[in-house]
Order: sequence, then structure tokens, then C-alpha cells
Amino acid sequence: MNFEILHRPAHSMARVHLNANESVLAESGAMIGMSPNVQMQTQAGGLMSGIKRMFGGESFFRNTFTAHNGPGEVLLAHALCGDMRTLEMTQYGYFVQSSSFVASTPNVQTETKIGGFKTFFAGEGVFVLKATAPSPGALLIGAFGGIEELQCDGNLVIDTGHLVAWDATLDYSVGKSGSGWIASFLSGEGLVCHFRGQGRIWIQTRNASAYGQAIGSMLPPRSA
Amino acid sequence: MRYQLVQKPDFSAVRLQFDQPGEQIVAESAAMMGRDTAMDMKTQLQGGLFAAAKRKLLGGESLFTNTFTATAPGQSLWLAPGPEGDVEVIEMNGQFPVFLNSGAFLAAPPSVNIDTKWQGAKGFFSGAGLFLLAASGHGPLFFSAYGGIHAVDVGGYGYVCDTGHVVGFTGGLQYTVNKVGGLKSLFFSGEGLVCHFRGQGRLWISTRNASSLVSFVHPFRPVSSG
Repeated sequence: MNFEILHRPAHSMARVHLNANESVLAESGAMIGMSPNVQMQTQAGGLMSGIKRMFGGESFFRNTFTAHNGPGEVLLAHALCGDMRTLEMTQYGYFVQSSSFVASTPNVQTETKIGGFKTFFAGEGVFVLKATAPSPGALLIGAFGGIEELQCDGNLVIDTGHLVAWDATLDYSVGKSGSGWIASFLSGEGLVCHFRGQGRIWIQTRNASAYGQAIGSMLPPRSA
Repeated sequence: MRYQLVQKPDFSAVRLQFDQPGEQIVAESAAMMGRDTAMDMKTQLQGGLFAAAKRKLLGGESLFTNTFTATAPGQSLWLAPGPEGDVEVIEMNGQFPVFLNSGAFLAAPPSVNIDTKWQGAKGFFSGAGLFLLAASGHGPLFFSAYGGIHAVDVGGYGYVCDTGHVVGFTGGLQYTVNKVGGLKSLFFSGEGLVCHFRGQGRLWISTRNASSLVSFVHPFRPVSSG
């Protein structure tokens, strides 16, 4: 299997080349086109994991696309404007902001985690997926805006709204950005993720909820 | 007439240069970014009131189009679609028509005839609307989409495209609207219905869908107190 990223950067799309009988696991709604010999199967992957995914802002169900009777292709895209990137699986795996997950090779296991207990009540739930694989594989991530790769060498602080993914070698904790809750709130920075250790972090150059607030506030009110 | 697609792929636009006076291009209303001052612009109901109304009501295009006519050699015209995204062009050769999703038409010379084509009940489900624009004739046909435009050369086995992402296709293709996967997938996959294309020809798919953006922004609207 191979992920080819086209139409970069603002409206990126991944063309997934499948060999005969190969599969790709994709987020619900991500498929925009495919060869007719590719068949789709929908699965929840267990009730609890489905419910956890739903809390993570993802859909309950995921789709598996399999090429039958020869090679095939699937076109995958993210709903919002932005770039995409393929991450080759490592022995440590990755953490992925749940809404950034687009697809993976079928050997990748994902587990939903709540990034810090406090964030759950702050309304800006930082749900992350821990993605690991026992054998070589890849992860396809999609961002809102451009994707910038940072190297964490010791310590880094990243706004949770800009997080896309990071190496699972890093320790992370979610917390307030300033010294007190009020200052954090007033700074407009809300929640941040504190990273410690060595590893790569991918951030998105736009924040979807900041965008939603900027545009949404200019629109006429909706009925409740 | 010569043309060039500029600023691809995210904010694509068209630059046209006319070789002789009298050359014309018909563009979607509000598509003009700039032109030579001496160039003539006429706003009209393309093809008369009835044809224009049909296109507006059925094809999702604007009621009025603008016809630009060169008055001297070397004049330039710049055109752009409303939303961000890509612009593509196909050189029509009179052999086959091109079908465009409503709203995808940007510009074409008068030698390209634009009509609407009833899609039947499948149009209702296709996400492309009940009517498509049918372009036929000779000359360049410029069209646009929200997002990138991905071309697929369909042959042999056909191709499947999500209903919300069809930009257009050439006349050698036919499509049916199907569900993808089993019944469970119809309700839970988030993929819904797809267009299954068969035949020989080219299909254009948009890599984004404006209604997904709208659905994303909607919850951020203020809530009315009334």
C-alpha cells in the first residue's frame, strides 16, 4: 500500500494505492472516490471503543476499504481545508489528536485517551488516539491549515487547538497556559499541552475552533 | 484567444488574451477580476429569457452572464470563481458534450452552447441536483470547484465517486446512484450514496465539499434568544 498526497497544500487529498486483497482503514466520511472493485465494510470495532471514539469527536464507526480481484485505489480527504501527511509507524507509535486521524494501514491499533482529566470539564476536550503497530505500517493524518514539524528537545508547549500528532516517546500533560486559570482564560490561549523528552511534534497552522468562532459570530443567529 | 490558468491550485484564476477584435467569451456573473478598459462588456440573459431562466432555476447558474468582446488585438481579461479552489479547462472539440454540476461553470466562448439536462430521479440522490449543465460545441470550457479538482480517466471498470464531490464528466460516461457497502454502511459509514460511473471518459472530482465547511461552522453561530 502506498499513500500519495495530491493537490497540496490547502485542499490535499490522499490517493491510496491498494494491491489485491489489501485494505485501508479510514475515518467515516473520508472517502471521496474509489475504484469499483474496492469494497467498503463498516465496523464499530467493539461497542466501548466506538463510544470512546464518539466522545473523541470522531464517529462511532470506521470503514475498511479492500481491493478485490486485483489492485485498486481509494481517494481520501479531510472535511476542512488543509494539508495531509503520512507517518511511517515506529516501534513507539504516535499520539494523534482524534480529529486529525484520516486513515491507517489495517495493522495499526488505535486507542482513545482523554488528554488530561481537567480538560474534559473545560469543554475543550483533548481526545487523543494512541496509534501503535506490531509491524511496519503507516498513518495518514489531516490538518486544518498547514502542517509544521517541530523537534522537541527537552520541553515544548503547544496550544491544544494546534496539535496534530506527536511521537509516543514524548511525555505530555494537558494544562493551563499561564500561571493561573484566569490569566490562562484571558490570554485566549486556553489549554496547552506540555511536552517533555525527545521526539517530533506535528502542529497545524490554523485552529479549527478559532476559525469557527471568527466566522460563526458574523453569521445570523441560528435557532437553538 | 490564448489562456493561462494562474495561481493554481488553491486560488486558481484564468488569464485570457485575445488575438483579434471580435473574439468573445461568456463568463458567469461577477467572475471578472479585471480587463482592458477598451474591452466591451455586455450583460445579458444568455440565450434569451427562457433559456436563462431555465439555467438559473434548473442548473443553479446565475440568471445573467457577461459577454466580453475584444475591440483590439492583445487585450486581456482575468476571471476568477467565487469560492477558493481550483479552476480547470477542457478544450471542447464538438465530439462529445461535457456535463457540469450546477455552479461549476465559469466561462466559455459563445461557440460552446450551455444547456441543462434533466437527471431524472437519480439527480435527486446524486447530490449534483436534478439538472446538470450540458456543454457542447467547440472551444475552451472553464469550470471551477470548491477545493482541488482531481481528474480521473475512467475506462474499463468504471469509477465510484461520493455524491457530494462530482464536479463534472465527459459525455462518454453514464452514472447510476448506488449505496456503498451493505445496509449498515448506508446509515453508519458516513459515506451515504455514491455515483458509479461507467463508460469511457474523464471525471472531475472536487477534493473538498462546501457543505462540510458549512456544517462545521453552523454550531458556532450565535443562538437566537427568540
